[in-house]
Amino acid sequence: MKYLVSTLALIVLGAAIFGFVCYRLSCDSALHAAAEKGDAWHWLRQDFHLTDQQFAAIQVVHQAYAGSCVEHCRLIQEATKVRDALTAKTSSPGPRAAAELAVKELRSVCEQALTVHVQKVAALMAAEDGRRYLALMLPKIAAFDHATAPDLQMNHTH
Amino acid sequence: MTIPPDSLTERLRAWRVSPPADSAFRPQVWARLRRSAHDTWADYLRPHAVVWLFTAIAACGIAAYTGRTAAVIRARMDREVLVSTYLVALDPRVQAGLLSIQP
Repeated sequence: MKYLVSTLALIVLGAAIFGFVCYRLSCDSALHAAAEKGDAWHWLRQDFHLTDQQFAAIQVVHQAYAGSCVEHCRLIQEATKVRDALTAKTSSPGPRAAAELAVKELRSVCEQALTVHVQKVAALMAAEDGRRYLALMLPKIAAFDHATAPDLQMNHTH
Repeated sequence: MTIPPDSLTERLRAWRVSPPADSAFRPQVWARLRRSAHDTWADYLRPHAVVWLFTAIAACGIAAYTGRTAAVIRARMDREVLVSTYLVALDPRVQAGLLSIQP
């Protein structure tokens, strides 16, 4: 009986060690380190196998996009303020609906601009990496479910 | 009408079993107990080798699959966090404080 228990314990221990080794070997440590640091640029470079030239070109595209991002952000904030002010002051639904529509339209414009931007970035990557990048980004942009990211600073603006 | 006596019943009633006593039985049992007390792990494993080998292979297979699956899930979660971090920095809707899609 004691040998049965010992043998079973030995096998369980050996399997646990083997499973842990498989886990460690299958882990993407660079990806995990980037996630822990919140270093999206490092991840982008590693995960999509960017060369120095590709990385530099993507940074240029990002810089160019940053300007329109600031402008879109400002427009949305203004439209939101107008809508909120109307909601507080006016009881008639007409102006409130128009203000709400303006916010929606601006949001749609932003979504399109961001979609075009990530498509430009994808075009700078190798074909397969670009496809993978778009497959990760486009659904999130459309669903807008990255707004609750763990490190999101709610009051941050450009 | 009288019922004839059942010869089988009579025979069974008269049947007596008297096996010869095995004088070696008791020493043999003790000898076996003493032997098993000195068995090594190898002595135990030898007759059960196939069963234990199969068990070990199955356990390692399950452990390897579990380990790999855990690593894949962790990578997926890490990537999810990074994509969100990346998009948060790019999306004017987030920067402007729109936190959900309104109908």
